[in-house]
Amino acid sequence: MTGARVAAAILRKDLLLDLRLGDRLGQMWVFAALVIVLMSITLPAVNDETRAWVPALLWTIALLASLLGLARSLQTERDDGAIQQLVQVPCDRGWVFLGKVAANWLALFALLLWIALLSALFLDVAWTRAGFEMIGLALLGSLGLAALGTLLATLASSSRFAQFLLPVLLFPLMLPILVWASLLTRDLLGGQISAAPLWGVLALYDWIFLLIGYFTFNAILED
Amino acid sequence: MHLVELIDVDKRYSGIRALRQISMTIGAGSLVHVAGANGAGKSTLLRVIAAVTRPSHGAVHVFGEDAFKASAASNRARVGYLGAASALYADLTVAENLRFSATLFGLDESAIGSQLQAMNLGEVADQKVGTLSFGYRRRVGLARALLNNPDLLLLDEPWNGLDQEAAKGLFTVLNARVQAGQTTLVAAHATAADPLPFNRVLQLERGRIVEDV
Repeated sequence: MTGARVAAAILRKDLLLDLRLGDRLGQMWVFAALVIVLMSITLPAVNDETRAWVPALLWTIALLASLLGLARSLQTERDDGAIQQLVQVPCDRGWVFLGKVAANWLALFALLLWIALLSALFLDVAWTRAGFEMIGLALLGSLGLAALGTLLATLASSSRFAQFLLPVLLFPLMLPILVWASLLTRDLLGGQISAAPLWGVLALYDWIFLLIGYFTFNAILED
Repeated sequence: MHLVELIDVDKRYSGIRALRQISMTIGAGSLVHVAGANGAGKSTLLRVIAAVTRPSHGAVHVFGEDAFKASAASNRARVGYLGAASALYADLTVAENLRFSATLFGLDESAIGSQLQAMNLGEVADQKVGTLSFGYRRRVGLARALLNNPDLLLLDEPWNGLDQEAAKGLFTVLNARVQAGQTTLVAAHATAADPLPFNRVLQLERGRIVEDV
């Protein structure tokens, strides 16, 4: 199937560039590490009252760090007009979107694992209490961020104000994911059974932006 | 059936009219020189035909279908386009860049080998594109555009940066395409040192075709 082959080729190419250069992942990981280490030094020790804030702080750090990686992902396509190859794929250009989302999803999921590790080390977050559901939440949260981020980074990348536009567009639309993922993380860390509707709306939100991206990418890629 | 048909095409970029009421047809087997000064609209014309840029007004038909319709997507496998930029990834090698393009078009490894040979790129195949000179990058860009042996080839200033040897290689390729009955549009102010057997010249001036011979 042409579309699946195109998406897989884009995913492979992006992974190859990520592993070879390391700059995209490196920027996100160093940023996240700096903020968490600074927080561990400047904030008072985490107690039962302040523990409830930690999930929101961690998801916010993930969102801020992801800006660096998302912008870089599209910059690679804009340099020397490489994006022109993606415009000329012999299938619906929505598959290009899916290929880019897959690459960004993997990078952002890896970022969340990195943040989880750092927060366990420096902020005393006990992820073992959250169980395997936390992996599912990280996958859903990073998928939403990847879908929205890829769509908006592509939109913003053709503008002179790309660095300013991406956060301005991304933050308001990411707010629901940020809130739901923070609530679910808090529940999971507290050993509570989280509300099923929250999981449902999070998955639905991801799905909506995957569909919007798939169907609008054709127009977004054209001049 | 015409290979390319433009009907009353206009293209505006933030108030500037790059193309004005262009209507024309191009048949199969043509080698067309799109001529004109800087800013005449040559590059925009090629971008519109390649379905990279959507016209502000008018219709573009390629291989008998509206080039911007979703159902025409598979026709892009029959088009090769080299724009002003070479459209390559600087941190991939020459071979990796061509392999990526080949995968997008569903081509096998043999297509890469033959283009490396045709463009005389064998010795730099394992070098990263970012380390190559402009002329070499242009050659890799040409190899990429020719990879799928397209029925319609659109080249924007293909001689830019090419040395004499590479220009001769391109001359041979374009001549072979004429013999094979394939269509090529070349946008350039000046043509190669060796005259190409163009069978049509479209002269553009401020976005209009002022001469068609």
